[in-house]
Amino acid sequence: MSWINICDEKALPSFGGIAAWIENRAIAIFNLKEQGLFAICNTDPATGVSLLSRGLICELEGDIFVASPLHKQHYSLTNGQCIEDANLSVLLYRVRCENGRVWVQPTSEAIDSLSSGS
Amino acid sequence: MGCIQTTQVLNRECSGDDGDLRPKLLIVGNGMVGHHFIEQLCEQGLHEIYQVEVFGAESLPAYDRVQLSKYFESGSADALMLASVEAYQAKGIRLHLDKEVIRLDVDNKCLHTSDGDFWFYDKLLLSTGSYPFVPPIEGKDRQRCMVYRTIDDLQQIQAAAENATSGVVVGGGLLGLEAANALLTLGLDTHVVEFAPQLMPVQLNDKAGELLCHKIEALGVSVHTSKATTAIIDGEHAFHRMTFNDDSHLETDLIVFSAGIRPQDSLARASGIEVGERGGIVIDDHCLTSDGDVYAIGECALWQQQIFGLVAPGYQMARTAISHLSAKVSGKEVAPFKGADMSTKLKLLGVDVASIGQSRGVENAQYVELSDNQAGTYKKLWLDETGRFLTGAVLVGDVTDYSLLLHQYLSGDALTAPAIELLQQEAGTGIELKDESIICSCHQVTKADIVVRVLEGDHSLAAIKGCTKAASGCGGCSALVQQVITQTMESQGLETSKGICCHFEHDRQSLFHLCQVEDIRDFPSLIKIHGKSEVSQFGLGCDICKPVAASIFATLENEYVLNVQHANLQDSNDAYLGNLQKDGSYSVVPRIAGGEITPDKLIALGEIAKRHDLYTKITGGQRIDLFGAQLSDLPMIWQELVDQGFETGHAYGKSLRTVKSCVGSTWCRYGVQDSVGLAIDLENRYKGLRAPHKIKFAVSGCTRECAEAQSKDIGVIASDKGWNLYVGGNGGMRPRHGDLFATDLSTKELVIYIDRILMFYTKTAARLQRTSVWLESLEGGLAYLQSVVIEDSLGLAAELETHMDKLVSTYQCEWKTSLDNPTFLSRFSEFVNPESMPILAVEQYGYSRGQRFPIAPSSKINVINLPVDEVVQSTELNEV
Repeated sequence: MSWINICDEKALPSFGGIAAWIENRAIAIFNLKEQGLFAICNTDPATGVSLLSRGLICELEGDIFVASPLHKQHYSLTNGQCIEDANLSVLLYRVRCENGRVWVQPTSEAIDSLSSGS
Repeated sequence: MGCIQTTQVLNRECSGDDGDLRPKLLIVGNGMVGHHFIEQLCEQGLHEIYQVEVFGAESLPAYDRVQLSKYFESGSADALMLASVEAYQAKGIRLHLDKEVIRLDVDNKCLHTSDGDFWFYDKLLLSTGSYPFVPPIEGKDRQRCMVYRTIDDLQQIQAAAENATSGVVVGGGLLGLEAANALLTLGLDTHVVEFAPQLMPVQLNDKAGELLCHKIEALGVSVHTSKATTAIIDGEHAFHRMTFNDDSHLETDLIVFSAGIRPQDSLARASGIEVGERGGIVIDDHCLTSDGDVYAIGECALWQQQIFGLVAPGYQMARTAISHLSAKVSGKEVAPFKGADMSTKLKLLGVDVASIGQSRGVENAQYVELSDNQAGTYKKLWLDETGRFLTGAVLVGDVTDYSLLLHQYLSGDALTAPAIELLQQEAGTGIELKDESIICSCHQVTKADIVVRVLEGDHSLAAIKGCTKAASGCGGCSALVQQVITQTMESQGLETSKGICCHFEHDRQSLFHLCQVEDIRDFPSLIKIHGKSEVSQFGLGCDICKPVAASIFATLENEYVLNVQHANLQDSNDAYLGNLQKDGSYSVVPRIAGGEITPDKLIALGEIAKRHDLYTKITGGQRIDLFGAQLSDLPMIWQELVDQGFETGHAYGKSLRTVKSCVGSTWCRYGVQDSVGLAIDLENRYKGLRAPHKIKFAVSGCTRECAEAQSKDIGVIASDKGWNLYVGGNGGMRPRHGDLFATDLSTKELVIYIDRILMFYTKTAARLQRTSVWLESLEGGLAYLQSVVIEDSLGLAAELETHMDKLVSTYQCEWKTSLDNPTFLSRFSEFVNPESMPILAVEQYGYSRGQRFPIAPSSKINVINLPVDEVVQSTELNEV
């Protein structure tokens, strides 16, 4: 599967998120430094609003989550699952950094659980 | 007699006859118990089955008579009100005020009122309460001899006090001491005259009465016991002279009788309904009178030769009457009235007093007694002859053990430890609560009721109050309710530590202190040093602890909140210096200090809003909110606002919002001070102050209070001598009037007090705790805060002021700072690759009433099992 070149690595804020366009849709990329890069669909499944990149990063029960800025549901950055509502989840995208550039794979198929850089 | 009346009745049209075919329930009396009956009635839905009419002889609907002397503290009855005509109306219940019922005709089931109207009933409830007993003393009807029961009485006392320097209360019981408090509040040289050799002879024993007497005399009240008044005559130096049975006398300008109450049973008595020998409407276990369609409850009712002069038994009667009235509809069994416990806990003239059960003991009873002269406390527990069962207790000066002792008494269980242990430190720990134990006697809430809700996830005292009503009556059981919550959570294995979240075992106050003394100013250090390492593998924190840390750092240093070490800690609104709305856009609120704005600035605001097609609304804080700004548009909008001289309004922050004001003495013909000028100065002083929660102020230019200052965290109301300061008011979900903190302050004093109060709040309040809850949570409440701020009892005043001065001098408009720095500004670029934005135009807005508004986004798009392409399509559909 092809990778899309998104931006310079330095354009990503540390320990926070930023939104990016890939193929007509918005994703959220989070730069957690030593823990790596994570990418999820930017849409908050609880409300349909595209803003997860603006959420706070949380460490809970040994996993890493983003809290939706609207109503604070927590979505896992490693498996997409929502803590508060088992019916909700976000799609995950493969993301990696190479030669100072950030790359994202524009499909989320068959990603059960992933770590950065794979 | 019935015959003649029937004819009269039939010849006229009944007042309540408006074609409503429902059975009629009439209620005579709208005091606390009558009001409680109506609340219960509505809860059971009976207000829909019956057509309900309520008659109140007073001009006001039900108010809190227990705390009557508060009327003088606030100067108005507002804080005491329990009911309103409108609230009743909303339930379809008509309340007739100032309408005295003069005759009850049980044969025709009809009530006659003093204005000549009459009303038929199917069921009648008498909750007529009681009237004050005035002993038959010569001269008792002289001018300036009054009673203490209604707000009307209080207004008369207040009027009489204007030309008086001294006042006497006849009666040293519960109500008498309340009345003494009222006279003291009015600034009179206050005396209490009691026939018995001690104060509160019904509830307290001699030693407890003696201690109470000492404490009250220390407050400046003169107590005269063992005195029977023989006559009241003209005084030589004052208006009255009271002569006593021991040939002594006392001169005073006014006299308030508070020598007990008598049941108000005259309606029933004249109608032929059975009354007791010494008064009181005789009722059975269902609160029915000798007439099967007439109920009586509260202080007018006599059950097994007893009158219950407390509010909790009255409430129990109300519930019994309701259950009897609804039994046919509900099919439930009637819950009979089985008598009530007369234990009581109250604060008299600031002194805590409580009595439980046989508080004066009985013959052969065992007892333990603890008299601590140094601490000013006295406690005595009465036990039965075996010494194993608690039969009564008296507490003066310290009543913290009241709830647990009461529970031990009511449960009838044997003590598990020697009784003396109940009086020592950590008392009560030996008492175990059972499921069926009544925790809240005002609302009859059992331990099991609370446990069920805790298991369902209501973990806070506030939530439990809301759903069970426990602790929402007199509030005396709050500590016990909290204990049940904590115990239940612990039994579930839930974390009940005071930690703000799973990463810290500290509350906000402790974290603040740690950051201050250890000079911690960034989150990685804070979580590394003080976080729980076992749950902080990556040191990332969460959406609870990070905003708390950000708030603490802001209070300590007041740095730009979006600089590199703080930006990722900010909550949704602070993170982008705007108020996030449901569609992901932001609203923009420039500061309009005091609500004062020039026409030019108003035009500029309008033009900017128009240019960016922003929905425009006036806020409750007297400023203008511009909605619908996309994240990336914020810098452009703010550049235009800053160019026009606006600065940020901090509407996004847990910080000072606005200082609302009325127009004040500059224009208003009633205004006595320049409220707008003060509001602007205060807003400019405290703008940008980050706190545990948002803070709102208001300044009113006279006592008409048009700025609604008493509903604000900090409220200032002009007096003719300066400013009156109110603290801890709140609107919102749980409205609260602010407490009067200090009066007639100069502007300088006012600012010093506000500085100290706000800094003390900012340092000590819990996360997201408004000033109202904070004030209530302070041990010692208002008086404690006054001692810290006014008397500097903690020696903190100078530090608090210095800290505030630092924050004031380091204020910055966060939007100006952002606009001046390209690095900061880059944060507002929503997309890292905006050039890849799809051409597809996404229109999520419609227009209504000439303005743009968001079209509701589809809620809960479930993307879990959909392939990517389908997700995109469904999103497009929803966005059109």
